[in-house]
This record gives sequence, structure tokens and C-alpha cells, in this order.
Amino acid sequence: MNMRLFQQFILRHLFNERLRSVATILGIALGIAVVIAIQLTNSSSVRGFAAAVETISGKTSIEITGAGLGLDELKLRELGWLREYGFVSPIIEGDARANLANNQRETLRILGVDILKDRSIRDYKLQTEAQQNLTPTDFLTLLLDPRSIVLTEKFANKYGLTVNSQFTLTFGDKAEIFTVRGLLKNEGAARAVDGNFALMDIAAAQLAFNRLGRIDRVDVRLRDGVSLDDAEVAIKQKLPEGLNAQRPARRGRHVEKMLAAFHFNLTALSYIALIVGLFLIYNTVSISVITRREEIGTLRALGVTSKTILALFLAEAAALAIIGCALGLALGRLLSFGAVKLTATTVSSLYIAVAAAPPALSLKHFIIAFGIGLPLSLLAAALPALEAARVSPTAAMRGNDRLESRFRLRKLYWLTPLILLAAACFFAQQKSFGELPLFGYAAALSIIAAAAFFVPAGLFFVTRVGKHWLARFFNIEGQLANSNLAGAIPRIAISVAALAISLAMMVAIAVMIGSFRATVEYWIGQTLQADLYLRPATRSNVATDATISPEVEAIIRAHPSILAMDRFRNFDLPYEDALITLGAGDFAVLLEHGGLQFKTPREAEAKAAMRSAIGTNGVVVSESFTIKRNKAVGDEIKLNTPKGEVMFRIVGEYFDYSSDRGIVVMDRGTFAKYWGEQLPTSLTIYLKDGVNHEQTRDEILAALGDKYQVLIYTNAAIRNEVLRIFDSTFAITYALEVIAIFVAILGVASTLLTLILERRKEIAMLRLIGADKKQVRKMVVIEAAMMGGVSQSIGVVVGVLLSLVLIYVINVQSFGWTIQFRLPVLFLVQSSVLILLATALSGIYPAARAARMQATEQVVEE
Amino acid sequence: MKNQKSKGKGQRVKGRHLLFFCLIVVACWLSFAFAESDWKQALPGYQFDFNRDHASHPEHKIEWWYYTGNLTAKDGHRFGYQLTFFRVGVDKQPQNPSRWAVRDLYMAHLAVTDIDSSQFKYAEKLNRAGVGWAGAETNVYRVWNEDWEAKHDDAKRTLLKAFDDGFGIEFTLEPGKAPTIHGESGVSQKGTQLGNASHYYSQTRMPTRGVIVMNGQRFDVAGDSWMDHEFGTSFLEKEQKGWDWFALQLDDGTDLMLYQFRRNDGALDSHTSGTLIDGAGKATKLSAKEFTLEPLAAWRSPQTNAEYPTKWRVKIPSRHLDLEVDATMKNQELITNGSTGVSYWEGAIVVTGTREGQEVKGRGYLEMTGYAGAAMGMVFE
Repeated sequence: MNMRLFQQFILRHLFNERLRSVATILGIALGIAVVIAIQLTNSSSVRGFAAAVETISGKTSIEITGAGLGLDELKLRELGWLREYGFVSPIIEGDARANLANNQRETLRILGVDILKDRSIRDYKLQTEAQQNLTPTDFLTLLLDPRSIVLTEKFANKYGLTVNSQFTLTFGDKAEIFTVRGLLKNEGAARAVDGNFALMDIAAAQLAFNRLGRIDRVDVRLRDGVSLDDAEVAIKQKLPEGLNAQRPARRGRHVEKMLAAFHFNLTALSYIALIVGLFLIYNTVSISVITRREEIGTLRALGVTSKTILALFLAEAAALAIIGCALGLALGRLLSFGAVKLTATTVSSLYIAVAAAPPALSLKHFIIAFGIGLPLSLLAAALPALEAARVSPTAAMRGNDRLESRFRLRKLYWLTPLILLAAACFFAQQKSFGELPLFGYAAALSIIAAAAFFVPAGLFFVTRVGKHWLARFFNIEGQLANSNLAGAIPRIAISVAALAISLAMMVAIAVMIGSFRATVEYWIGQTLQADLYLRPATRSNVATDATISPEVEAIIRAHPSILAMDRFRNFDLPYEDALITLGAGDFAVLLEHGGLQFKTPREAEAKAAMRSAIGTNGVVVSESFTIKRNKAVGDEIKLNTPKGEVMFRIVGEYFDYSSDRGIVVMDRGTFAKYWGEQLPTSLTIYLKDGVNHEQTRDEILAALGDKYQVLIYTNAAIRNEVLRIFDSTFAITYALEVIAIFVAILGVASTLLTLILERRKEIAMLRLIGADKKQVRKMVVIEAAMMGGVSQSIGVVVGVLLSLVLIYVINVQSFGWTIQFRLPVLFLVQSSVLILLATALSGIYPAARAARMQATEQVVEE
Repeated sequence: MKNQKSKGKGQRVKGRHLLFFCLIVVACWLSFAFAESDWKQALPGYQFDFNRDHASHPEHKIEWWYYTGNLTAKDGHRFGYQLTFFRVGVDKQPQNPSRWAVRDLYMAHLAVTDIDSSQFKYAEKLNRAGVGWAGAETNVYRVWNEDWEAKHDDAKRTLLKAFDDGFGIEFTLEPGKAPTIHGESGVSQKGTQLGNASHYYSQTRMPTRGVIVMNGQRFDVAGDSWMDHEFGTSFLEKEQKGWDWFALQLDDGTDLMLYQFRRNDGALDSHTSGTLIDGAGKATKLSAKEFTLEPLAAWRSPQTNAEYPTKWRVKIPSRHLDLEVDATMKNQELITNGSTGVSYWEGAIVVTGTREGQEVKGRGYLEMTGYAGAAMGMVFE
């Protein structure tokens, strides 16, 4: 390709049309930015967790774990043979909350170890000269007091702590004063969780976490020369029932799997903005082809081959795309900070407690940006570029080779959307691919494609019908606008399609969220029947195992207003290749006071089923469990318990929207049989009639004093809390959508601007025959609003169709939740008005440009 | 305390209130006394009872069981070994109810000297009791650290077992001579202050059979072992830099235990002493004045740079004993950063010399501490 030609023909043009160039680049950049931001955000939570596991695990090759709740420490007596394989170190690990100066609070990852054993597995370098090269005994002496802790240098510096400083740490619900005994250099495990890492003696950690008699896992570092694969197999075989051996990285993979559906859906959403951006590229290149047919003809006449012409226009697309992708990468990195914040609540309240900054851009992200952005841009530009290459030199120069601008309703325009819709129906009925709803997305894409193909026909009908109505309401300006649009359908179709699709997505998501919220609200009303809900102050999500102290329970039981109390215990349990939540509650209390909303069996039968589970191996499971694990009421499931693998029978299935990973609940008695008596992780409290809830809550809090830190929600407060988490979960969804719509409106503005420039002679004629500036402006704004109106109309219809796919296919397959469909009419009306206004506004600049056009100039040129 | 209570319940006396009051006073005094004194000191007047004194004495802070011995394989291959179990009290009554709370620390050292191939291997262990990874029982004799163990079988024979990577021992020890109690009035005085002492006895010649593994190769061996068991609370004083300890088994049936303390100022310590045990097991105490220990040649450790006298002249004029003690190999130094943090020399020795002009030979073990690093008085204060 001739560089000079490219410079003069393409670059100069892009520069002259810089507004449209900038809009296109911005569109691509935003599209790429959103994709990159979501990539970074997704990897931040999994990577944050995996990195913490990796850093903390040190030289651990294999870890021995129990059935969800660590292992009974006495089992270690049977594990002496592990030493043949290498170094063995029992571990307590958990989170505690540090209360620091100025009311600052930080979560600390606490590792409780037997330092005599653990230094073979992890390196700990203490900060000061005197503390270096400590013998194991000296190091142990630092930690002996049960209120001793060793912090990282980084954390201590941040909060002005030094050796011998004291501060309060809350473990679960217990607040105690600890003394800093040493500071770790920023090496080894101390680098974990950004320095929020602390070391304790295993005995002190057991006491603090209320885990006397049990340990969380045993870390094993194999001797040099022992094969990891062989050792893993051999150790697994030798382990007694109820224990398992795995590599530490497996925990990271569990989390990755747990978040996969959430991440997949965010990723899918992020590509919408990119798709809209690609429409812009198509639009831009086709406009530059349309407006310069004569020039192309001249070039061809001068001997430029059609291949060169094709290359020139592809190069134009490439130039725009490369700048857009580069900008997009930088912008994506910036956006990711916001996206991490927006998703943090969801990830931490539903999945894992990891607050991680997004990672830096890596080669992978450059590959994604350019590897996806550039080829797709070229693909989008290929059609108009081929069109340009086909321009015949003579015809174009003579001007009688006008590209067809009249639209004729061919069969193609209504048959294609119908076929695509049929395909969508087919896809919607397919099963998920693994746990990923790939066919669901295929259905959604088919619907989107159907909408895109329908746009020209839609515009055609609207301009037909609009002729009469617009003239009636907006006089001559309306009539002119209508016919202008009718005359430019092939050119505006792309912009309208882009806008329609992003609006359809917006509508679909709004309908889905609205339905979901209504479903959850109903569910809350049914399920949350207790008067007070209590959890340890440090328990931020379902995954942490903060427990409630027996002292706290005793104080609550002693309160005269208490009628009944359900001690609920839950924790993560590996099931098949993922993590589920295992819960144990008091079924008798639940039967009498609670209100689980059962899916099957219904009503009275459900109560009978629950009653039957008391004293037997019956369990009730959440809907997401049955859907994701492909089980039904009556089926048996095999769970790992400390007593080995045990079969449990599903007696009921209930609705639950608090977690998508599947919950299995059994009666406390059944639970205790296999897992032993365990401290509860939350308390559900029922009060006597006529008691003031708020007052009881305050009285309990007062009785607990400063020593115990718990959160008590009244029924009203917990409902608000659930909805707050719900709303925050979808904040990111709205943010992504707003960006996509912004890009689409950018497209409408840029299209209008092109149309105006192209029609400058027409507009000049209008001015000559007496149209004033105001009228011209009005006409252009009406055109813009009409494009918005058509887009929104298609958007609403297609959006509702898409929402059905989202609710009944994608959501069920990814999360296993049943959502009752509900149309948020108010939202649809509001958004429609808003879109009309926004598109009309986007027409203001083109309108001003049109109005400024000097009639004489244009005509004189003729 | 528990006993006191049950006694109180058993006796039906008038004035229950008074009794109750008394109990409270006793209970308070007991807990107070415990907190104050902490560990029981080794005081004169102790009566050994070998039905129980082999086992552990957890009321004392420091306790060790020390086995050394010279053994020969059937083909004449000579070996020396050392297996030591230490218990050091940390917190007599930890407030934390966790099993992992540290009441005692248990250390163990194992060393095997392959005399003929001049190879020396050693290993160490350090554990808290935890769920029973280490411990020492109080009613029967059994002390262990992970899978290293010393215990009595039903016939009061001692079973020793300790293996590390590619080397180790597994022996059965006959009691041999009756236990020898060192020192006077049941205490072996180590320092000037009362209580800076230990209860110390030895089984000086225990016929030993079993297996030594060296570099993965098994040897059936037989020979004699020497066992020391000491317990007390404070042993040394700060001025005491280290000690040289000899355990000699002569061919004529005589066993000799000698130790001297070296002070920081270089002077000899008056608590230096020894015991001579004749062939029948009769023990005679030797005071500092009755013997001399003279270093003849030294070996410098390339690792710690400490200079250990590995060749000595031992003279006991009153017994007409004139002996030369020489290490079977120079490097029998243990650097135990993983447990006690102390570096010391402990190795198999050969003895040559005369007794009343007659040539006499023997074997034994020599231990030298305080030559590298901190003074032992700081460690075993």
C-alpha cells in the first residue's frame, strides 16, 4: 500500500472529519476499556485469593484437610507416618479484625503455627537485628503468651505500631488486647494479603478463634527428592477416613470455580460495549466510503487498483482501531479500580473475603485488546471497504453510480430476523455447557442479531406511518425530518441498530433485575421470620468461619424476652469438584417459628419432610444445589464427613437467593453425629409477643459490653441489609450498560453529523426557499429523536425477549435461581422518555452545524 | 487441692463453716505457693526410689536422660552412639487450655560415630508435647520425641530407638550394675547456692545389643552403654562457662565419672567432682582435690571455630590411676541450632594408662560444653 496515498487520502480525511474520528476512537476505546476492566476485576478476586494461598502456603507441597471443619487434633496422633514424607506443621488460619488508632479497622489474616515445626515450611524474618537468627526456642518464647502476636513491618508502620505496642483484636465475637512481640520483614508469608498478615502460636490461635481441640489443616513439605505426584497418591491412600490430601493451589481453583458463573456473566456483559463500538467502526468506514465515492472513482481512474482501495479503507479502520485499543487499555486499567469497588461487596458478601486491588496490565491484556479489537474492527470495516473496492471509476466520476439510498423492503429483511428468532428459541432450550450457559448466550446473540437485521425494515415502517403523524405534530419540520430519514435508511440503520441493541440489553437487564428484586423481596418476606439476627462482628460473609462464643449465647438465653433461638452453623464443604455450603440448624425451632420457602414439596408436606429429617440423615437443600448438581428431592447425596463419606437423602428443596453455590442444611442433631458439637456462626432469635425488638436488641448489646463484638439485626434491618447487598450486586451491571448506551448515542450523533454534511446542499436549498435557522435546527433534532424513538421501541421489545432468556436460561444455568418474571413498567416508561431526550440532545450539535451552513456558499459552489 | 477437698467431704465434723473456711485458706495458699515457687529445686535429703525415679519429674524444670556407649559389630567394626532426651519446663501451669499450650519443651539429640570409617552423624528434635508428639511419662519409664523413644520393657530392660535419614540405632540395654547416685544426700551440687544442683544417678555399664544403621547399612552390634539421668531446676550459675564431663569404662570393671566446671575467669570451680564405681557397683565420691584433668591436645572446629581439647590426662593419685583419654575421631561436635541452640562436643573416646603400675585400657564418652557460643550457665541457669 502506498504510504503517501494513505496519508493524503485517509489520514487527511480522518483529520478533517476529526469529530467523527474522535467519536469512533472513543467508541472503540470504551468498548475495549470495559472488556479489559472486567478482565482485570475478575482476575483480581480470584488472583487475590490464589496469591494469598500461594504466599501463605510457603513451601507446602501437600495439605491435609478434614471434612469442611478442619480436623480433630487428636487425629494427628495417627499421622506420625507423615514425617517419612517430610516436614509436618499443623495450622490454624483465619481472619481477625484489628481495631486501630482513630477508629480504623483492618482485617488481619492470622496464621497460628507451632513455630518449632513451621520454620521448615515458611520463612519468617524478624525485623530487628536482635530478633534475627532466633533459635526456634527464642522465637517460640516471643509467642508463648496467649495474647502475643507478630505483625508485619508493613502493617505496623502503617498504623504506628512497634514491638510491645498493644491493640485490640476481635476474633469472631471476642475482643481482646494483644501485644506486638515482633515484626516480620516483608518476605515470605509476610507478603500475603498486602501485609495484613499476622503470626500467632497455634495454642494462642486455637484459644482466640474458639477452636480448641481442632486444627484447620496440616501443611506438609515433602523431603527433597520425593515426587509430589507419588507422595500425593500414597498419602491419600494412607489417610484415615474423613481426611483428605490436596495441593494448596486447589483451594484457589475451588474459588475460581465458585466465581466462574459470576465472572462469566460479567465478561459477557462487558462485550456488549465492544460490540456497540464495532458498529461505530462499521458506521464510520461505510460513511467515509459513501461520502467519497467520487474521489474513489478518480483514484481508480488514475490507476489505483481496487485492491489498494480495499487496503486503504481497511487501513483506515485499523488506524482507528489501534488508537482505540491503546486508549482502551489505559482506560480499562483506570476503570478497573472502579469496577473492583463495585464488585467488592458482591464478591465479599457472597463468595470470599478478599479485597484486592486490580492487577497490573499484562501481556494477556494486550493480546485481548489488540487480538480482539483489531480483527473485529477489520471485520466490521470489511463490508464497506469491499463496497469501496467495487466502485467503478467512470460511473463514480460521472456521479450516476449513487449508492442506493432508497430502501426497498425485500424478503430478506423480515425473513432473516424470523429465522434468527427461531434459532434463539432452539438455543434457549439446550442444557448448559458445564456450568456455563453458553447456549443461553447463543440464544441472546441470535435475538440481538435478529434485532439488528430488523432495523431497516423497522425504520421503513416507522417512516411510512410517521409521514402523517409527524406532519401533524411538528408541522413541516416533522415532515421533512421523516422524509430525510426515510431517504437515508441504509445509512442510519447501523447506528439505530447499535443503539437499539444496547437499549435492548439495558431493558433486558432492567427487567431481569426488577423481576429478581421482586422475587427476592417476596422470599425475604416469607423466609426471614425471626425477630433478631445475630452474627459475630467480624463475619462479613458466608465463607468466613467466625463463630459465636458460648458466653454470648448464655447472655442471650438469659434475656427474659427470648422465646426461642436457632443456633445456625455453616461452613464450606468440598463437594464433587466445587465448594458448597453446609448448614446445621435446629429444625424443631425452624418448624415452629421459621418460614423456609419450599419449592418441593409444598406447604404441609414440606413441614412433614423437615420433621422426618430430624434424627435421620435427611437434608433440605437450596434450589441452586439441585439445579447445579442435577439432583432432585428423594435423591441421595454423598458428603464428606469426619467419619468418612456418608449418604444423605434430600427431603426438600427450598428457595434461597443468598448464595449461588448450593446449600445443604441438616438438623443440628444429625450434624453433631458426624461433625461433633460446633459453635454456631449465627443465631436466629424469636422474641415473645409484645416485646419491643429494638429495645431487646439494645439490652442484649449492653449486656455483652465491649468484650463481645456482635452485630444484631432486627427483622426490618436484616431485610434492608439483604436488599442493600442485592442492589450493590447489580451496580456493576448498570455501570456497564450506561457505558454501552453512551457509546451508542455517540454513534447516533456521529451518523447525524455525517448526514448533515452530506446534505449540506439540500439544507442550503431549504434556507434559500425560506427556512430559518430555527426550523433547520428543529428538523435535525426531530430526526435524532426519531432515531432514538425507533431504537427504544425495538429495544423494549427485544429487551423483554432477552430478559426471558436471561431469567429462564442464563440465570438458572449459572446461578440456579428461580426468578418470577415481572415487567417494570415504570422503569420502561422513564427510560424511554430519557432516551428520546438523550438522542434529541445528541442531535443538537449536528443541528447547530446545519443551521450555521450559509445558504449562498453552498449554492454558489454549484 | 483436689485431695484436700475430698478429704474435707469425707470427714463429717461439726462446724462445717470453719472447715470450709480452712479449705479456702489452704486452696488460696496452694495456688499462691505454686505461682511463686514455680519449679521444685533439687534439695539435699532426696531419697531415690528406682521404682519411679527413672520416669519423669515434671515438678522440676530441667530433666535429661543421657545414653552413650561404645559398641562393636561382629566383624570388629567399632561404633559410638549418643541418644539424649531433654525436658525443659517452660510454664508449669499454662493458662491456655489448648493442648498446644507449652508446659515443657522436649529436645532430643542422636549421634552415631562410625569409629573405623571416621564418620560422625547427628540429628536433633525439638517439640512441645502438643497432641503427644513428645513427652515423658511419670508413672512408668517412657520418654519420647516423635518416633525416637527410650522406655523400659516388662523386664526393666531399656529399649532405645531413634532413626534419622540413613542412620540410627535400635538397642536393648540390660540394667548391668545397680544405679549409682552421685553427690551427697541425694544431690549433685553444681553451684554455690542451695538448689543449684541436680538429682543425678547413672547406670554406668549396661550390656547393650542391637542394630546400628549407618549410611543405610545395618550392623548387628554389642557393647556397653552408660546412662545418666538428672533432674533439677537450676543447675549452673552465670559464672560457670561450661563443663568437661568424662564417663570411662575400664577393662578391669571400674567405671569412672568425672566432671569439672570451667569458670568465666578461667579458674577451676570448686563444684568439680566425680564418682568411682568398682566392678561390684560400689560407688565412691571423688572431690575436686582428688583428681586432675589436664588437656593435652586440642582440635579446632572448622564450623564454630571453637577449640576443644580432645586429648586429656586424667590422674587420681589416691587410686594410683594415670590415664590418657583420646577422641576416637576429632570431629564429634554437635551444632544444635534446631533445638537447644547449643554447640558442644560429645564423642566416643579410648582410654589407655596404668592403675597401680599395671596397664589398663578402656572406652568411654567425653562431653565438652561452653567452648562455642554462650556460656552454659546462661543456658541452664
